[in-house]
Amino acid sequence: MALIPRRDQLPIPPKNAKVYNTVCQYCNVGCGYKVYVWPVGEQGGPKPSQNAFGLDLSTPQPPLAGQSYTETMHAVTVGRDGQQYHVVIVPAKDSPINRGDYSIRGGTNALTVWSLDRGTQDRLTYPLLRVGDQFQAITWQDALTLMGLLIKGIRDRDGNDDNIAVKCYDHGGSGQGFEDNYGAGKLFFAALSVKHIAIHNRPAYNSEVWGSRERGVHELNYTYEDARLADTIVLWGANPYETATVFYVEHMLPNIQGATVAEKQQVFERGEPAEPGYLIVIDPRKTSSYTVAAQVAPDRVMLLRPNLGTDYILANAIARAVWEKGYYDMAYLQARTDMALFEEYKAKSLKLSVPYAEFMAQAERITGVSRAEIEKAADWIAKPKAGRFKRRTLTIYEKGIIWNMKNYDQVAAIVQLAVLTHNIGRPGTGCGRQGGHQEGYVRPPAPTPGSIYRGGPPVNVDKFLTDGKGKFYWVIANDPYLSTPNNQVFRKRIHERTEKLTKALGAGGEPGTIRERAQKILDVLYQDPDALFMVVQDIYMTETARDAHLILPAAAWGEANDTSINCNSRLLRLYEKFMDPPGEAKPDWEIFKLVGLRIAELYRAEGKAQEAAKFEFGKDWKTDEDVFLAGAEEFGDNRVSEEDEAKLEAENYKGVTYKLLKELGQKGIQTPVRRDPKTGKLVGTVRRYTYKFGTPDGKFKWYGTDDWEGYPAEVAKYLEGEKARQYPFWVTTGRAQTIWQTAYHDRRLPEKALALPLPYVEVNPEDARRLGLQSGDLVEVYNEEGNGTFLVYVTDAVKPGTLFLVMYHWRGTSNSLVSGYTDPKTTIPWYKGTRANLRKVAGAIPSVQQTASVLQQNKFD
Amino acid sequence: MTQTLSRRRFVQLTAAATALFAAGGKAQLGYAPSLTYPAVKVANLSQVKTGQPITFNYPDASSPAILVKLGRPAIGGVGRERDIVAFSALCTHMGCPVQYEGGRFLCRCHYSMFDPAKAGQTYQGLASSWLPQIPLRVDGKGDIYAVAVAGLIWGRVKNV
Ligand code: SF4
Ligand code: FES
Repeated sequence: MALIPRRDQLPIPPKNAKVYNTVCQYCNVGCGYKVYVWPVGEQGGPKPSQNAFGLDLSTPQPPLAGQSYTETMHAVTVGRDGQQYHVVIVPAKDSPINRGDYSIRGGTNALTVWSLDRGTQDRLTYPLLRVGDQFQAITWQDALTLMGLLIKGIRDRDGNDDNIAVKCYDHGGSGQGFEDNYGAGKLFFAALSVKHIAIHNRPAYNSEVWGSRERGVHELNYTYEDARLADTIVLWGANPYETATVFYVEHMLPNIQGATVAEKQQVFERGEPAEPGYLIVIDPRKTSSYTVAAQVAPDRVMLLRPNLGTDYILANAIARAVWEKGYYDMAYLQARTDMALFEEYKAKSLKLSVPYAEFMAQAERITGVSRAEIEKAADWIAKPKAGRFKRRTLTIYEKGIIWNMKNYDQVAAIVQLAVLTHNIGRPGTGCGRQGGHQEGYVRPPAPTPGSIYRGGPPVNVDKFLTDGKGKFYWVIANDPYLSTPNNQVFRKRIHERTEKLTKALGAGGEPGTIRERAQKILDVLYQDPDALFMVVQDIYMTETARDAHLILPAAAWGEANDTSINCNSRLLRLYEKFMDPPGEAKPDWEIFKLVGLRIAELYRAEGKAQEAAKFEFGKDWKTDEDVFLAGAEEFGDNRVSEEDEAKLEAENYKGVTYKLLKELGQKGIQTPVRRDPKTGKLVGTVRRYTYKFGTPDGKFKWYGTDDWEGYPAEVAKYLEGEKARQYPFWVTTGRAQTIWQTAYHDRRLPEKALALPLPYVEVNPEDARRLGLQSGDLVEVYNEEGNGTFLVYVTDAVKPGTLFLVMYHWRGTSNSLVSGYTDPKTTIPWYKGTRANLRKVAGAIPSVQQTASVLQQNKFD
Repeated sequence: MTQTLSRRRFVQLTAAATALFAAGGKAQLGYAPSLTYPAVKVANLSQVKTGQPITFNYPDASSPAILVKLGRPAIGGVGRERDIVAFSALCTHMGCPVQYEGGRFLCRCHYSMFDPAKAGQTYQGLASSWLPQIPLRVDGKGDIYAVAVAGLIWGRVKNV
């Protein structure tokens, strides 16, 4: 009857259901959730005394105020006791972040649990070993022995760890947290010294925001309340309606609607005007974050659409307008910023030697944004309010800036505009990332301390591997076959290299024992330097795992206790374990510990006790909390005054225990956590940089950005001569509301897989008319880097001459078309800009076109 | 082909129409419709105009619903063009009313949007469950009956 399985009644959690506190596994917002688990066969009743919700369920819940419990919030799983259990996961009403709200991603948290009647039954449940063209089951015992023998074999031969390449997350949420990050850090940076390591979504081990950090501003400095208090919110290359959804609808939109004026009156100074907020969206696309706001307050919303790659020029132009109009407080700048470096900023970024009119004419030409719009933005960001009160502006940027060309300068230009206008450290201000996922980083020091200006740039590990270097490649909880830039080249090369090993291993018969196998692998790796061994550690069979030699099954969200912070207020909470991992799957920290212990055993067997000891970092880790507490030792002393919070690492949680987090529940505690010198009590930090910046002298460090230099060679080649005609479209890329990252869960849920069955391309109506394209058509989008088949959405979200591709779709990643360019200062790619052409393919896939909606996603009128 | 509701089936459905909540019963894990629904006449084919929604309550007075002729074929659509569909008018996100506007259902609380031609799928917005579709039957006289609800109406643990 229905296209997808639907329900018209749901089981009621009984009074004796087990109740857990957790946080959404998905985005940066970190909405709170409650989990109820009880055996199948039991059920509660509708009276408040009969159910674990404590609600009267005999009448419908009131809209908005009631508890949401929808079809996607229930699943049945199997415990390690062989019994079936109901799992209900509903948004927490006692979370200050979401207050019972949720998004289309988090609303399906329950559907993602391992369940035998759903696609999630695909979870990896025991280690797999490639034998020729098959994956065979093996035991953890053998898997760990193989890992140990190979890692030790390589470092013994080489005398270093340079042939070991790793690609691993650095984030929280998604089933990772401080625990797993610390396990990874101890193995790779303390026991091993891995320098060819890259982070889950990029080719190197780097910060995406060194341009801010090296100024003394950590990227997570505001608190979610600032979005309620701001006079103006700037969303720069961030589309929170689709990627930080509850933050946008619960905290930003009410501000724009005027629903938070009373909160402003309480916090603002006496006599300071408190009015409904303004919103500036800066994005090449007309995103839904703009079009939704334009529905509620058209006069207080502005959209600026700079040419791709030109945002830092735009930020400097707004800053110059601020300077000309005198919208800054010189006393603040002198007290809090490095005035010697300010001269460099004035010369290079504000370019004060160039007359204003000439400067603005240049900025207009480069960015495509008019002087009038630039000056209007300067007014909205910094023009003092009536009574000469400083305006309060919160600037939130994300991948549109980070994954722009010239990553370092883009980020630096935006944070400098915020500091120039004193829009940081006050209620209603701040300048930081929106965030993609949540965070939870604690590790020993990383191989590269900073950008090119601070000991960098870090190694491009993708390039290291495609150049034929390295012998052992360990991919942990990420899918580079979808996520790296220049993806088609990367995939083909890794396939070629791993296949060389596979073939050589099979020649003359597959080795019989694990020791023989390890020996033969090592022999091949050193005979044929191009051969590569790959191990994938994940929760599902990923695209990358297709070429792996060994696959290790990991635990997912909810299958171990872990801790993370959200991005919009650095709120640290405990994500409680509510079920066992399926089969033999293990939390990542435990896998790292066991690999370490196995290597240690091998060294001990050779009498190398000292070397062995390095690998026994996890021998006392019995529980997740042991790892959490061990990680805290990496942080500096947090016995500092409120005025000195800037000295602390952003995620410092020293002194926090699981017990404390259990008591705090959804309230959590905001990092950095201080032990107040006066009271001896642990206190969170609501907002950062009120008193000092995070530099040795506490002063903000200005930086003079580069001039406009045009596009990097990898993209500039498409702008000249014949190629300009062959590849006439600008291409940008990004996310969609419905799916999370590579859709590793979503592709297994019919609600999501039917809605977004194929990767899609947004085409402007003018281009569509000219090319005879309609929504739902199939096209091939291609350039010299790669190609893919995309479903057409005709929409004014993109300008004529520009295409937008959804990222990371499992049926074809937009990254196939992206070049290998990275910012020379940081090794961060430009995932969001290239050139391409498209052609309509012959025929159609009617089943897809009949079931997937192709209605316009940014149109709300 | 127009689906019609036979007179016999119609009598069966109305006779079975009860809306009781059984407290503490076994969890029902079957797919919708797993309950007994009333058959309720919503309109006659002759009254239904493309793009002009008809509101009604179903399966009971506290559950608003909307019937609409889309002017494009729809999954589960009835009528000659198979374009007449009906849905619960309570947004599956947090229960606000949805409006039929511009060929789709829109909720103005947080801007979820549902495609009525594609089984009520959320194509934008926050609702993780699709809008519940109300299967329709047309009898020999062209009367359109709501006969069940495929999907859970927001705010309930059981539709009837
Ligand atoms: S907004 Fe983010 S954290 Fe909140 S429910 Fe959605 S995906 Fe989860
Ligand atoms: S209640 Fe409809 S979108 Fe939230």
